[in-house]
Amino acid sequence: MSSSSLGYLLLKETRQFVRNPFMPVVLILLPVLLMLLVPLAANMEVRDVRISIVDRDRSGMSMELIDRISRSGYFVFSSYEDTYRSAMDQLGKGNADIVLEIPRGMEKAVVRGEEVEIYIAANAVNSTKGSIGGGYLSSIVSDFSAGLRGEDGAVPLKIVPQYRYNPHLEYKLFMVPALMIVVIILIGGFFPALSIVTEKENGTIEQINVSPVRKRDFILSKVIFYGILGIFAFTVSILIAHFVYGLASNGGLLEIYVSAMIFLVFMSGFGLMISNYSDTLLQSVFLMLFFVLIFMLMSGIFTPVSSMETWSQYVSAILPTRYFVDILRSVCLKGSHFSDLTFDFIMLSVFAVVINVAAVITYRKQN
Amino acid sequence: MDSIVIHNLRKSYGKGRLPAVDLAGEYRIGKGEMFGIIGPDGAGKTTLFRMLATLVSPESGKAEIEGLDIVKDYRKIRTILGYMPDRFSLYPDLSVKENLEFFASVFGQSIDRNSSLIENIYCRLRPFENRMAGKLSGGMKQKLALCCSLIHSPSVLFLDEPTTGVDPSSRRELWENLAHLKANGMTIVVSTAYMDEADRCDRVAMMKEGKFLAVDSPRAIVSKFDRKLISVRSDEMFRLLNDLRSMDVVEKCYTFGDSHHMVLKPDARTDAGGIASVLEQDFGHRNVSVSEISATLEDCYMNLEDK
Repeated sequence: MSSSSLGYLLLKETRQFVRNPFMPVVLILLPVLLMLLVPLAANMEVRDVRISIVDRDRSGMSMELIDRISRSGYFVFSSYEDTYRSAMDQLGKGNADIVLEIPRGMEKAVVRGEEVEIYIAANAVNSTKGSIGGGYLSSIVSDFSAGLRGEDGAVPLKIVPQYRYNPHLEYKLFMVPALMIVVIILIGGFFPALSIVTEKENGTIEQINVSPVRKRDFILSKVIFYGILGIFAFTVSILIAHFVYGLASNGGLLEIYVSAMIFLVFMSGFGLMISNYSDTLLQSVFLMLFFVLIFMLMSGIFTPVSSMETWSQYVSAILPTRYFVDILRSVCLKGSHFSDLTFDFIMLSVFAVVINVAAVITYRKQN
Repeated sequence: MDSIVIHNLRKSYGKGRLPAVDLAGEYRIGKGEMFGIIGPDGAGKTTLFRMLATLVSPESGKAEIEGLDIVKDYRKIRTILGYMPDRFSLYPDLSVKENLEFFASVFGQSIDRNSSLIENIYCRLRPFENRMAGKLSGGMKQKLALCCSLIHSPSVLFLDEPTTGVDPSSRRELWENLAHLKANGMTIVVSTAYMDEADRCDRVAMMKEGKFLAVDSPRAIVSKFDRKLISVRSDEMFRLLNDLRSMDVVEKCYTFGDSHHMVLKPDARTDAGGIASVLEQDFGHRNVSVSEISATLEDCYMNLEDK
């Protein structure tokens, strides 16, 4: 009885889904657009920092420094100014992001072995561009000065930063796994919750309840159907991640899929829980949105957990997304395996089990 | 044999609130009986239906349907019960045929097996077979809902205000269909706001504030009405209503179609003629027509709270 009733319940879900002019489009467009557009738009990489230069030395050495800066590829020269004040004007008007002032007599002073101060002023309104651009610039300058000392014969001690796993500090590689999580949250969590609440609003759930169909089968049909859709959407997004952004090119697909399944189970349990406590679509959407925002903003999807306040770091420990993010990033960027991620997998599974048990219990209480 | 037995059934929503349903004593509905429930909005009709349909559990008391307890044997009851809720609750985004197929498979049936029961209802829907259920007219929706609740040949059928928002000809058709089902031995419990529909029932329960105030055949209920009932008309109907209500001998006065009906107090020593002369002389009404009439079911319903 049970398996056959699941059969026609799934058939019904399929018919309703296909009939809907909106949902199938969402299912395909959501992962595609999210994966293709957002990494381009939400690019936090610093490139094309506009620099205004006040070269008051006009020596061979200052020319060489400017050449060094232009060759780094991070900077665009916006203007050459005669005075520091006019350069600051450019900064104020927003024509430049950074001002570099080379003082008069730099070359001579260096030859004499004296200390020379070079001024850097950065516009921090766009804080990432300002601070990272300033960082780049000062490292170029110190690199340059180290080279000068090297000419004196003494071998300079140079610090060579090496950014492991994301050598080019590309924000995309940080962003793409996060977006795959958003896809699962939206499709795996919202879809079943909205579908159940719609049945509540239409009163169709009553018709099912007075029939011999078991509630268990009814709920299961939702979880299975939308679970399959979630896997589909996730597959679309992982294909894009792989072929467009080159993610997980060193393997790790199995780890990603298994963790995505566990997370999907969590999200659908969460969606059920939401649907238990809401009678209208509006209620469920707001409830869902509230938690989804917390999931996304406090678990390190977009900003690293380590840079959060201490108390919110504790909060993130009770968010399942945090462990899923960990797994995806480690696998995609570091090529980690199950054995490296045991803790994350255990935590994710615990969340999935707990929320589904809670969902079933609260569902019973409603009637 | 009794199809439905209700014993001290009670249900309230939240502490400190009046119970939605509070049926003291025992009520029995026979097999093949058409049992009507009439009462104002909020009388507890829908809650009673939902309890009997095993959707909510009673707070206390018990009820049996075909010998099955509504709490313990709810799963068995669901296989022999047809329930049509007070609002359309089929899938609006499935077609007429798909809805029917779905509910048939829910009950483990195929459409053809039970076609005799629903054939004369469904034949009217057949031209719209592929239309989405949400796009049907009110009457068509009602027919489809009835078909879906009959698909498994239930032995007991609950209809919660089935004719609300349905045009008069569809109403008549529905009642003809119900008569046909009753002839097949089906027990039907129906709530309605239309008194002409209540007249078609074998027995009627007048329900108010969760209680059955009177349970009897419509004729018996009418015959038990023991007060003097008077119908009044004049040129100024609105002023007439207020004037009548201000009279000492009048216990209750209400509009009834194109005239006013009023119930005299038990100790009132007047009659139709006396009322007429008071209206003409003291209140200055013209073209007054006053006549003593016998009560209808609606009059009994309007005077429920006084008993």
